[in-house]
Amino acid sequence: MNDQQWNTLSSAVRGEMLRPLPTAFIIDSPWLPNWTGHKILDYFTDERIFLEDNLKAIRIFPETIFLPGFWSEYGMCTEPSAFGSVSMWGEDDFPFAKKVLRSPAEVERLEKPDVHKHGLLPFVIKRLQHLQPEIEAAGHRIRFAVARGPLNIASFLMGTPEFLEAIKTDPELMHQLLTIVTDFLVDWIAYQREVFPSIDGILLLDDIVGFVSRRDCEKFAVPYLKRAFDADVTVKFFHNDAPNKASAPLLEQTGINLLNFGIQHTLTEMKSWTNNKIALLGNVPPRDVLAEGTPEDVRRSTTEMLNALEDRSRLIVSCGGGMPPHAPTENIKALISTVEELTR
Amino acid sequence: MELPVHDLSALQKAVIEGEVSAAVSAAQGALDAGVLPVELIGQGIGPAMAEVGKLFEEGEYFVPELLMAARATKEIFVILRPLLAQSGEEPMAHVVLGTVQGDLHDIGKNLVAAMLEGGGFEVTDLGVDVPPEKFVEAVKKKPVQIVGLSALLTTTMPAMKNTIEAFRTAGIRDQVKIMVGGAPVTRSYAESIGADGYSETAAASVELARQLTGTLG
Repeated sequence: MNDQQWNTLSSAVRGEMLRPLPTAFIIDSPWLPNWTGHKILDYFTDERIFLEDNLKAIRIFPETIFLPGFWSEYGMCTEPSAFGSVSMWGEDDFPFAKKVLRSPAEVERLEKPDVHKHGLLPFVIKRLQHLQPEIEAAGHRIRFAVARGPLNIASFLMGTPEFLEAIKTDPELMHQLLTIVTDFLVDWIAYQREVFPSIDGILLLDDIVGFVSRRDCEKFAVPYLKRAFDADVTVKFFHNDAPNKASAPLLEQTGINLLNFGIQHTLTEMKSWTNNKIALLGNVPPRDVLAEGTPEDVRRSTTEMLNALEDRSRLIVSCGGGMPPHAPTENIKALISTVEELTR
Repeated sequence: MELPVHDLSALQKAVIEGEVSAAVSAAQGALDAGVLPVELIGQGIGPAMAEVGKLFEEGEYFVPELLMAARATKEIFVILRPLLAQSGEEPMAHVVLGTVQGDLHDIGKNLVAAMLEGGGFEVTDLGVDVPPEKFVEAVKKKPVQIVGLSALLTTTMPAMKNTIEAFRTAGIRDQVKIMVGGAPVTRSYAESIGADGYSETAAASVELARQLTGTLG
């Protein structure tokens, strides 16, 4: 992300009215390598492909912001791998992290990983360090510390149904698990910031927050998100494209100031539930419109979405969730140009 | 013959609230008092799980509540299954479920399994990353009325089509109804690959399974 884009993003988060409204998209695998014609595994393992794919996206869509920008990642495997989770790879499949805890009681033997040494974490750091000169030569800087959120990591370590059941059957052990995971996250975010001083934002991704009730969110999500986001940075960005109705009113107290959510809710609903205190990144349907629709469908959907919204402050137009697999160039261009025309 | 009506409110309450041991005790108590297993399912578990599904659809219940109710139901069936076998009662239908090849996600599939069991179906869960031939094998092994295919990734959705194709190739496509579901799956996709039914939620899968087996009450 270049300085101008960062300033635009920060201004939107602060609630300044921007004309035209900014657009931004979370991009990662599988969309990015598929879009450039590379295999997902090559994207993860080849630094040149990673760099070229990201630069190509920036070149083709100079008018938009890509978040978090040069995202060094290994899908869902990054953080679980530090806890000893086996990462499973396919040539062109999304990687999968195998669970490491076979019962809630096994939390007792779980240790906090060393973020400098364990799993894929050194690979994440090294990739960015190796490419940093070229990223900066292209006018961009590394702006975000990125990680999966505490519930998401916990669910990969235990299995999602097992974790969600255990918050009912073994709440104390699940608090113990979330404490270890959050201690780890605090270290991991601090380490990324230490290595890359240009970082002024945190992005956490956690869809599991959307699977629990408001009461469970208060108990099992809010305290841990609050700790993970407790850092002196400008942008505290959260992604949860599962349902948000229960969690949205609670997010402000965690320090989150930018939220990417799914298509279950309208921007108006989300503005009301967040009391318009959190900037929103959304909300064109990613699969049915952005990936599978025509440019005309994208224009219609974007126009309807913007016209339905009275207050356009704290809004960055995007799709609901990350960039969907197979979203074509012309549809993304259609979204960007429609926003520009309507909000100039 | 019409079945007598029993007060199974304690059982229903325990299932709805996901109180596993209370649900099992209430079920055992009802059986001891002479309630037939088939009555326990039809008047106790079935309505309780339907209420759980309704609460989920209304946004009152979330995944953990659904999972706990399903677990309570599952534990009751541990007691009921041998009794049903003894009495010669047939389950509503036999469903074989699995997450398709290449996909390791199980939450949706597990929820559907639990809801169907609660709805009186016999469920064989083949697990995750299930190759088409394993589904075919399961159907050849014992009578199966419904096959349920789950996928969470757009990249694994084509494996649903391959699985349906495998049933055709094996010459047994007409023997079973195939229903599909999962976050990226849509009704139009289900139709395009030749599935017999699509369910958007785990709770709705029970009604769909009843429709597919012609047992909708």
